[in-house]
Amino acid sequence: MIFTSIPFFLFFISFAFLYYIFPLRFRWVWILASSLFFYMYGNPYSIIIIASIIFVTWFCALRMEKGPSEKVTPYFLFAIIINIALLVFFKYANFFTSTVFDLTNIVNTQVFHAGAPYSNPFILNVIAPLGLSYVTFQAIGYLIEIKRGNHKAEGNIGYLSTFLLFFPKIIAGPVERAHHILPQLKQYKPFNYDNISKGLKLIIWGLFKKLVIADRLSIYVDAVLDNAGHHSGTSISIAVIFYVFQMYADFSGYTDMALGISKVLGFDLLQNFNRPLLAKSITEFWRKWHISLSTWFADYFYTPIAISKRDWGIWSVVYAFFITFITLGFWHGANWTFVVFGALQGFILTIEFFTRKARKNMRKKIPPLLNNIIGTIFTVGYFALSLIFFRASSVKDSLIIIRRIFTIKGPVYIENPTIILFSLLGIFFLALIELKREYFDTLFNISTNRHWFIRNCYYCFLLLAILIAGVFDGGEFIYFQF
Amino acid sequence: MIKTGKSTSIKNFLFKLCACVILLLTIDFAGGKMLKKFYFMQESGYDYLTTYSIERATPDILILGSSRAVNIFNTGIVETQTGLSCYNAGRYGEPVFYHYAVLQAALKRYTPKMVILSFDAGNFNKGLEAYDRIAVLLPYYENHPEIRPIIALKSRYENIKLLSKIYPYNSLLLPIITGNSRYSKTKYITQKGFIPIGKIFSGALQTYDYTKETSLDSTKIDIYRSFIKDCVAAHVQLHIVCPPYMIHAIGTDPSITEAKKIAAQYHVEFLDYSNDTAYTAHPLLFADYRHLNSTGVEVFTRSVIAKIHN
Repeated sequence: MIFTSIPFFLFFISFAFLYYIFPLRFRWVWILASSLFFYMYGNPYSIIIIASIIFVTWFCALRMEKGPSEKVTPYFLFAIIINIALLVFFKYANFFTSTVFDLTNIVNTQVFHAGAPYSNPFILNVIAPLGLSYVTFQAIGYLIEIKRGNHKAEGNIGYLSTFLLFFPKIIAGPVERAHHILPQLKQYKPFNYDNISKGLKLIIWGLFKKLVIADRLSIYVDAVLDNAGHHSGTSISIAVIFYVFQMYADFSGYTDMALGISKVLGFDLLQNFNRPLLAKSITEFWRKWHISLSTWFADYFYTPIAISKRDWGIWSVVYAFFITFITLGFWHGANWTFVVFGALQGFILTIEFFTRKARKNMRKKIPPLLNNIIGTIFTVGYFALSLIFFRASSVKDSLIIIRRIFTIKGPVYIENPTIILFSLLGIFFLALIELKREYFDTLFNISTNRHWFIRNCYYCFLLLAILIAGVFDGGEFIYFQF
Repeated sequence: MIKTGKSTSIKNFLFKLCACVILLLTIDFAGGKMLKKFYFMQESGYDYLTTYSIERATPDILILGSSRAVNIFNTGIVETQTGLSCYNAGRYGEPVFYHYAVLQAALKRYTPKMVILSFDAGNFNKGLEAYDRIAVLLPYYENHPEIRPIIALKSRYENIKLLSKIYPYNSLLLPIITGNSRYSKTKYITQKGFIPIGKIFSGALQTYDYTKETSLDSTKIDIYRSFIKDCVAAHVQLHIVCPPYMIHAIGTDPSITEAKKIAAQYHVEFLDYSNDTAYTAHPLLFADYRHLNSTGVEVFTRSVIAKIHN
């Protein structure tokens, strides 16, 4: 059930209505029941895996807190191993067996597949449950915080399940922290006009970004990048730039909807984006893009690695950058393309780390506006280049696309002018809103205008734009696959 | 439980929500009416041709199909050879759903003497694109109940989406503007729906392997079957033609095989030129590997009509 579908809206309206009718003390039960329904809507059996993670996390966390001190580490390790093992098995097992198989060619095809096409007999027919990466990371974060003594284990498995299964965030985040959500579950949440109004507006804005911008851009991006061999370097370059905006509008649109849905229910989720496409460096970009995941990695991965290798001096930072970003890339999926994507981030962050003083001195000599423009163009350009690896099905395909950008001349592919026009208008509108919020936040307030009528006309305009220019046959959110 | 939030007015919320909904419905209604007016005011362009095919055309011979119908069946030659009026109601990229919708609308209005359906290889292959393309029929949903079951195939919740008056004109803003402009009148010139292509095929001969396993879409097959049944029931002379491809084919396309089988069940003629060497051996007759050029069209249309007459 995706957020842009009619079944989801029917589900959400009936859920929210009953939520406010439910007795305050038991609203979390209603959230849990609805989250289970939401999760099991497509594939009811995958809940078994998620339920196992929840039970092991809950049980071990309690034992870590209440058991003898020498048992803390074994229970902690046991819970972490179970979490990671399930993630690796469902998401990466086939990747590892394929890699070993391809590298060593240990299986004699004549023995296993006489006359049949060359294939790996160890490939398992398993599909990772939706949102597995997100649930696992949130569970691991919860366990680490308890191990560090930063917060107490949750005794009620119902609350912990509601935290991990909370339907607005279960499929594609934000990667929440237990200390942020669990107290909210126990709070008194009466009907609040402001929350509902803000939530609905966020939902509309998210819908606009997804249907009008992301899915419109995806038509051109898919047509060109899925058949890159037939397109000129100019068309591919346009598609690659479009993909950056598509990715941003898609993922931030989803996040806005998740935040909006939660807000209607009185919950605050973590912010995931802070206008990343206006960042002036990749370092700044990663502070503004998928914030909940990058801070998770910073807290539980980067910092411990950098501290453990502090004897290496500044090289500990470089080492931590690479390990963190390669893992972060690999988190997205079992493919070498994601590893390269992560490594490219690690590489540029290292360069930026070593050149930070020189760049600071240089910035003093350049007018701020020019500095911002150069920084933003570089950041978006580099991110676009790395996204080629993110999107392609193999490293070889990515390299072919990059080579074509620089070598193949030809006309720009325009099959349908409407697609190009709406795509450019979408990017223009998104850029306008982001620039306004970044640099002129107090000026030209339409969405937050003090006049009720102007505010609502703006949101009616967005809904109108969705009806006129939205793509209703678009696919699901890009990050659902991770 | 910790008490934090302040109690707010549900009445206030409901009042403002109702006001917003009324505002939105008003804008949707007014916007939809305006778009409808301008959509049906178009005098050229693809949407105009669809409107003409669905609402006005009453030729003796109705030609239906995708771009391979639009570019390959010369209405002038058909009219000269048969002495009957002819209109090419094909539309670029459209699958069997569109053809069936146009036929339904035509049969409601009158009974053509003959229908020629241009069939393409891979027409029954599974794929969602064909369903997305049903979108071109949305503006006709309101006034043409006969095509509503076809529009319903687009998605499970299409009827709910169509409660909006603007939604049928989704993504049509630019075509509506250009369709009402002078530019469009000079760009889209057709000969009763037929658009010839002047260029000559240049490129390597492609090989298509049809022996690979392909799954067919039962809904598309059912619509094709209904198309034939409705023609037979209305005593319309139906001819199904698969024009030639400039390819080297290995095996036979499963969609063509299936289409021939169904046509035979209803004693309908299926003329298969898909791999006819009389054409495939002559690249000069083609504009690209799917479409004949003006020279090829002349040879092909004459040949098909002669065969149908016989």
